[in-house]
Order: sequence, then structure tokens, then C-alpha cells
Amino acid sequence: MITTDKLFGKTLIEAAFKREQVARVPWVPFVGVHGASLINSSADQYLKSSEKIVKGITKAIELYRPDGIPVVFDLQIEAEILGCKLSWNKDNPPAVIGHPLTEGKNLNDLKRLNKDEGRIPVVLEATEKLREMYPDIALYGLITGPFTLALHLQGTDIFMKLFEDPGYVSELMDYCNNVAIDYSSMLMEAGCDVIAVVDPMTSQIDPDSFSSFVSPYVTKLFDHIRQSGRLSSFFVCGHAQQNVEVMAECKPDNISIDENIPLDFMKNIALEKQISFGGNIKLTSVLLLGDEIDSKKEAVTCIDLGGNNGFILAPGCDLPMDTPVNNLKAVSDLVYDEYMQQVTRELEHSSVIEPLDLTGHWLEGKAVVDVITLDSGSCAPCQYMVEAVQHAASDFKDKVIVREHKIRDKKGLQMMVTLGVKNLPTICINGDIKFISNIPPKNLIADAIQQALRG
Amino acid sequence: MKNTLQKLAECIEFGKINKAAPFPPQMKGEDGADELTQQALADGIESQEILSNALMVGMERVGIKFRENKIFVPQVLMSAKAMSTSMIHLKPYFDSGKAKQKGTFIIGTVTGDLHDIGKNLVAMMIEGNGYKVIDLGTDVNAEKFLEKLEQYPDASVGLSALLTTTMVNMENITKKIKEKYANTLVTIGGAPVNNDFCQKIGADFYAQDPQAVVEFLNQKVA
Repeated sequence: MITTDKLFGKTLIEAAFKREQVARVPWVPFVGVHGASLINSSADQYLKSSEKIVKGITKAIELYRPDGIPVVFDLQIEAEILGCKLSWNKDNPPAVIGHPLTEGKNLNDLKRLNKDEGRIPVVLEATEKLREMYPDIALYGLITGPFTLALHLQGTDIFMKLFEDPGYVSELMDYCNNVAIDYSSMLMEAGCDVIAVVDPMTSQIDPDSFSSFVSPYVTKLFDHIRQSGRLSSFFVCGHAQQNVEVMAECKPDNISIDENIPLDFMKNIALEKQISFGGNIKLTSVLLLGDEIDSKKEAVTCIDLGGNNGFILAPGCDLPMDTPVNNLKAVSDLVYDEYMQQVTRELEHSSVIEPLDLTGHWLEGKAVVDVITLDSGSCAPCQYMVEAVQHAASDFKDKVIVREHKIRDKKGLQMMVTLGVKNLPTICINGDIKFISNIPPKNLIADAIQQALRG
Repeated sequence: MKNTLQKLAECIEFGKINKAAPFPPQMKGEDGADELTQQALADGIESQEILSNALMVGMERVGIKFRENKIFVPQVLMSAKAMSTSMIHLKPYFDSGKAKQKGTFIIGTVTGDLHDIGKNLVAMMIEGNGYKVIDLGTDVNAEKFLEKLEQYPDASVGLSALLTTTMVNMENITKKIKEKYANTLVTIGGAPVNNDFCQKIGADFYAQDPQAVVEFLNQKVA
């Protein structure tokens, strides 16, 4: 087996899609309208301007160092051209509010897509430009899955038509799949490496309906992408666990899921069906509403469950516009830093740790320096930090007390929680966090001790 | 031999609308909800009894099967369609006050959010379980809920949201409702919300599936 430890970006994604053993899990943040917030734009302006999309994705690439990234995440592009009325929002992708097939149009009235229609030129221009700027990063071209597109066109009537008029639904699905094939060709031509077929509405149907009405069509779509020499991914969000197996049988190269499907369940099916898989960092409770520690813990849990054969780390779905940048940066830092992954694993249980009573810990007229480490014996940065502190403290003789707290044991963890420390290693002086992660030069440590002694 | 109400409950459970309906295949050619409801009324069965002993029985089975991932949205919609076919015949009795519903439930998708599949399913299940349902649609603000509450002060309220950006509007709506009607029960549901969020915004109940709302209302209201 090849150990692919030098791989990054597109080549790393390709290796993972082929289920090769990789040294590092590839990372694909699904930046959609979040790109707008990165450049202080609104979602509606962003999704209509190739220039803004290029700026937003460029910013995301700088901040998050991804191996792959979607160009645009908007499942209304095809629907808009085919006559669905849209309602535009400042902080979300647009929503479909009119369904032409229930408003007097017939399936025969609907045309196939053209390159110069609607916002397709915006997407293609952005793709071409980003391709030129980032030849090594995998660009994901997103297309609306045929069932979701059929729902855009037909509205929720389609659910009942599955039983009441199955012949019509098959015709509609065939049409929507042809639209998907056409659009995927345009995106591949513009330079996308991976075509992601995003079909969230399939989460609402049962496996039998999926096999009858979705499988025959998307299988053709994935064949088309394969024959064009590109990779494919099947995105689904929501409670779609019942369909994962039938999805895998449609032969996509990869399936990407959200937090509603357990990652280990997905992994077992992917192994059995010999495809790659990705997901499923919690979008709302962690990335949007949590903090950096929550994000790292969640990411390391996904990395450990996903493993190094065929797994791609990604959020469950399109990132909410206002996802805190620092949460995503924390995930990105963790992806590239095995040591940080180790620390985060140790932190796993810190939330249930009781804080310590620190009465008697502080001493009148002295400076108490607490260094919180993973373990200076086994972690190089921790070791240097402890040494640096001891070195600086030696000049103060017995005025300074240095204590190392290793979070390998419960007491160390309790100390970390009590002092409010969130990164390792960290130096606290008389209970205040003074230096985080980076090892400060001796004089800075000495100054901080001096200050603490003056009170 | 099954009686009319048992057969009607099965029509609701499996989504058999009328005799001509092709779905479900195993009931092809048999009477559906439409025929059986008329037959029950002609046999002199009270509308109240038809609701309680057939429609509600069928809808409860649907709610449980949906919760257990045995059936999905399309099947629930077929059941709901069978039920509303039946309700067309019963409605005159409820309107005249001859038969009573358990309570009133006002439902809507909150401000800024246009998604309605989940909200519609909840509305259908609640109606099928014997409540009067007032569906305010999508993109509904606090004022519209308050307006309806003025008309139906004993009603309970259901708020739905699919987007992380609109779930925050649930808080504002819940607060405004509680300010004026402290005892009104507010339930919330939708993909991005959970029990923690429900408690944080001061709502009374987070429902993970439609049947949970039904059970909550049955316990608190009926």
C-alpha cells in the first residue's frame, strides 16, 4: 500500500475517493453563502456575482486551507431557469416559492438548460477563474439532484403522485436527470474535479420509492460523470439513514451525509459497497452555536470514526452564513496538526469535570505559575514551555512557585477547567491566563512574573 | 368480519382514498375512506364516533409508523388525503356543534421561512387526532399568531422552522405570545431545533416528530 503522506488538495481527495490509505484526512468545508459573510456581502448579491463568489472562496481558501471546496452551493440555479419563482434572502440561498408544473405548465413545455441562461454564466465564470487560481485544490461543482429538482418543479404533489401517477413521476424524473447531466457537463468543462449531486429531498421517501423513482436515473448520472473522467459525490441531508444503502448502489464515488446519520453506520455501508464517504460535523449545535473547543472535539470525533481509508471530513451540509470563522479555523488547524488532535482527544471529557476549590493554592507575596500541559514528557512543545518557565522563574528564587498540571490525569483536567484554559500548553500566573500555545522568550515570562509580584 | 369503522381505520392507515384509487395495491377495488364514511353515517353511526373510533385510530397508527421509520412522507400524505376525504362528510356535524373537537391548534412556519412540508404533516396529524387546526401557512410573524389567539384564546400554538437563520425568530414569537397569553402552550419543531433550544427560548415543548405533538396535546389539552 502506498503511504500518501505528501498528498494534499486535489491529489489527496482523489486518493481518498479511491479509498487509498492516506496520512491525513482530507478536509472540505462546504462554503456556500458563508463566503458572502467572509467578504461582507449579502447572500443574494453574492450568488448573482462571479466576482464576489471568487472573492469569497479565495478568502475561505486562505482561512480554512481546504483540500477541496464547492464553487457555489445553491440548489435553485436550475429551478430558476426552468421557471420556478424564487424568494431571495440576505442571509440564505433563495427559496423556491412557485412550482411551474402546478401553475399551468406541462412537462413538455420545459426546455433543457443552456449555458448562457440564468445564473449559469456566473457559476461557470467563477469556476474557470478559481480553476486558474487554484490548480491544486479540488473544485466541487454542485448540481441539484433530480428528485429535489422534480420537487421544485412539481411541489409536494409529487409525493402523492408516486402512488397515484407513477408513470408521470418517471417521466418527470427522466427529464430532471437529463437537466442534471447537461449541467454536470458544463461544470466539468469549466474545470470542476468533483460533481456533487445534492438531493436532500430523497430523505423524505422510503427505500422502495427511492429504488423505483430515483436509482435508475441517478445511476445514469453517476455513469456519465465517471465516463467524463471526473469524480462524483452524492450529498443527502436529513434523516436519510433508510436510503444510504440504495444510494450506494447507484454507484457514486462518494456519499456525504449530515449529523442525522451516524458516521459509523455510513462507514460500514461504504466499506461494503466499496465507495468513499464524508461528513458529518454538526452544523448548528457545534459549528454555528458552539465554540472552538466544541468544533475541535466534534472534528476529532469524526476523524476517529471516519478513519484514513476513504473518509473526507466535511460539515453536514451548506455552512450557515454566520458560522464563526474561528470555529472553522479551529477545525482546519486540527486537520493539519496531529498533536492538536491528540490533545483534543484528551479533552473529550472535560465538560463533565468538576472544577477544583483553589483555596490555599495561592500564596501571599508569591507568584504561582501554573503550566497546563498534555504531558511535558511526551509532548515537545509542552516540555519547552515548562523548561522556559522554570528558567525564567529561577531568577526569582522562592518568590515563584512553578507547577505543571498534566491533563492526562483527572486532577490536571480539573485544574484546566478551573483556570478556564482552552488551549494547550498554557501558562497562568496567579490564576490569569498569560501565554497560550506559543513558547514565550524568557524576558516576557520574567516581566509577567514581576508584574504579578507587584500585585 | 371487520366492521365499517375498523375498515375505515385501515383506509386511513394505508391511504386508501376511494374505491377507484389505485393505491395501495393490496386494497385495489375495495371501498375507500370516501365510501366507508358515507356508509357509516347512513348506518346511523355518530360523527363523533367515526372520528374517535376510525379516523383517530388510523392516524395514530400512521404517527407511530412514521416515528419508527416504517413509512415516510409520501405514505403519510396519502393517509392524510384519505382522512380529509372522510372529513368532508363529517365537517357539517362539527360546524353545527353537534360533534366536538378536542381543542384548537394554531400552526405556522415562522417569519422568513418558507418551508412547509414538516409543518403540513404536523397539521394533518393533529387534525386527524381530533383537533381543530388553523394553519397560518409560512413566513408567519408574531402579530399573525396573536391575532388568531385573540379569536381562539384557548388554542395551543405550533412553530416550525427549517433554517438555522430563521429558528431564532421562534424566540421572538414565543416571547410575544407568552407576554400576552402566559398560559398558551407553545410547541416547536423542525430540523435545526432541539430540546435545549426549546428551553432557552421559553417554549413549552420540542417535538421530534408529529406524533409527539399529538401526545403532548392529548396530555395537556384534551
